Amino acid sequence: MSFAYEGSGAIGYLGPNGAGKTTTLKLLTGLLRPTAGVARIDGVDIREHPKRAMADVGAVIETPEPYPSQTVAESIQMVSEFRGGSSANIAHDIGELHEMLDLPPLGARTGRLSKGQRQRVVIAACLIRDPRVIILDEPTGGLDPKERILIRNLLNRLKKDHLILMSSHLMQEVTDICDQVIFINQGKILLRDTVENVATRFQSRAVDIEFVDPVPIERLSPLGSMIRTIAPIGDRRFRITFDGSVSARAEILTQCVRIAPVISYSSASLVLEDAYLSLMQGPNGAAPTGGTGD
Amino acid sequence: MDLARLPSDFAQWRTAVYRQWKFYLRTWRFLLLLIFVLIIVVAFTAVSVVQGDSGVSAADYLNGGASSLGIFGIIIGAFIGGDAIAMDFGSGTGYFMLVLPVKRIVLLLGRYAAAFAVTVILIAVFLVVPLMGAIYFWGVSGIPWVALGQTFLLSALYGLAVISTAFFFSALFRSPAVSMIATILILFLGFLIIDGVVGTSLGYEPWFSLLYAGSVIGLPLIGQPHHTEMVSHVGGRMITTHMWYPYIWEGTLILFGYFVVFLALSAIIYQYKESKG
Repeated sequence: MSFAYEGSGAIGYLGPNGAGKTTTLKLLTGLLRPTAGVARIDGVDIREHPKRAMADVGAVIETPEPYPSQTVAESIQMVSEFRGGSSANIAHDIGELHEMLDLPPLGARTGRLSKGQRQRVVIAACLIRDPRVIILDEPTGGLDPKERILIRNLLNRLKKDHLILMSSHLMQEVTDICDQVIFINQGKILLRDTVENVATRFQSRAVDIEFVDPVPIERLSPLGSMIRTIAPIGDRRFRITFDGSVSARAEILTQCVRIAPVISYSSASLVLEDAYLSLMQGPNGAAPTGGTGD
Repeated sequence: MDLARLPSDFAQWRTAVYRQWKFYLRTWRFLLLLIFVLIIVVAFTAVSVVQGDSGVSAADYLNGGASSLGIFGIIIGAFIGGDAIAMDFGSGTGYFMLVLPVKRIVLLLGRYAAAFAVTVILIAVFLVVPLMGAIYFWGVSGIPWVALGQTFLLSALYGLAVISTAFFFSALFRSPAVSMIATILILFLGFLIIDGVVGTSLGYEPWFSLLYAGSVIGLPLIGQPHHTEMVSHVGGRMITTHMWYPYIWEGTLILFGYFVVFLALSAIIYQYKESKG
């Protein structure tokens, strides 16, 4: 596979377990050595010049652990020192990260932190000295919903002037954060495009509709030929499948509003989830024509 | 890329030394070994003082502490360096450290220097406490300072050789705990068995043994012994056992070889080892 990005923004790196996501990120950060091919950051071959290549990169791959005997502050300070941070600014820099990531007490030993707390410390260490490129492997793994929102908001701020490459299984997370996506399977790129284009291409073929009051299913017969199936979810909610076109989607809503007052109308699943499932259902997850990565 | 703001390799090495030094202090490994070493040498020195066992000379007395460094040096080195590299591959520490813009050789040499510093302090205790006993019996003027200095330098070289060997074994394993135990067993029991079988029983000079080379440490104090054969009759059978002593130049060369070769091998393995799983 081959791909290149520059500038700023967030790129989601998606695929099933064993697709090669973490392997790619490890190759990019020098944790694995390629048997063939080359990984470059800012034009520098990571294998030939790892220090230069990683000079402006912060990475969280797999489940990093600081030295368990170090305190939160010492872990971050050590990374800062390796990246050339001065002792004069370190307290200020750590203070900023502490506030930004709601870090545990700075004097706490990292070996005694919960998984979520440790992950936030690792992300703080990744961000110290403000590296321009951020590589994240399942960055919110092990985090509770509140922590996930914290990281999501942070990444949404950072992507404005940083380049973020992140793998994730959470489609909602990728949808919320990323501007572009790469779908891979079995070490091959199946699709590489902007989230917007993927959304257009993989229209959801199912919508959920909710009426204000209970509606018997027979009353929905006017929807007729514009839908494929209809299934009640409750006495007020139905899941409707159709051909996925925008016009049919609009017409279904129009008809439903005529039948009874509607309280909500939304895609039954996330667009990226639909894209993911559609791509993976091909023969061995084979790439559909057009729009694939180079 | 903002390479200009990255510190030099030397500055990063200093950071690695400092952080590893703190690691040894923080994990109590250094302090526990120090207490262990102090108990042993203080006990032996106290017994000799109480019993009035002054040896035939100050040098002879001092050799008591120096000669035990062979075995204890191996234990110390194995505990200090036994997981120095494995820690990056058996836990998540490697994923934290190895994605930083630091050359792996710099990290390794930083850890090596910290391990050496800790080892030298512990080795020095083996010489300083008996030195106090020697001063008690023979006075300051009776101390062979030059020979003692040579013994200390040989001890330091022995420390380098042991740590290099421990680092090498540490590089072969992924689990820090397994690495530490295996290193201690290989260095401690392995060399004892090799020396016993090859040197003492079969009669071949075990020049390839770290423990054998380490027996030069006390030689500046007591002079050069020579190879001896001892024939004894056990159950009607005649058994010949051998005692081998390296020359100082020979032991120095072997120790230097261990230091350089195993450090180089450790660096090569560390450089190319991948973070899998």
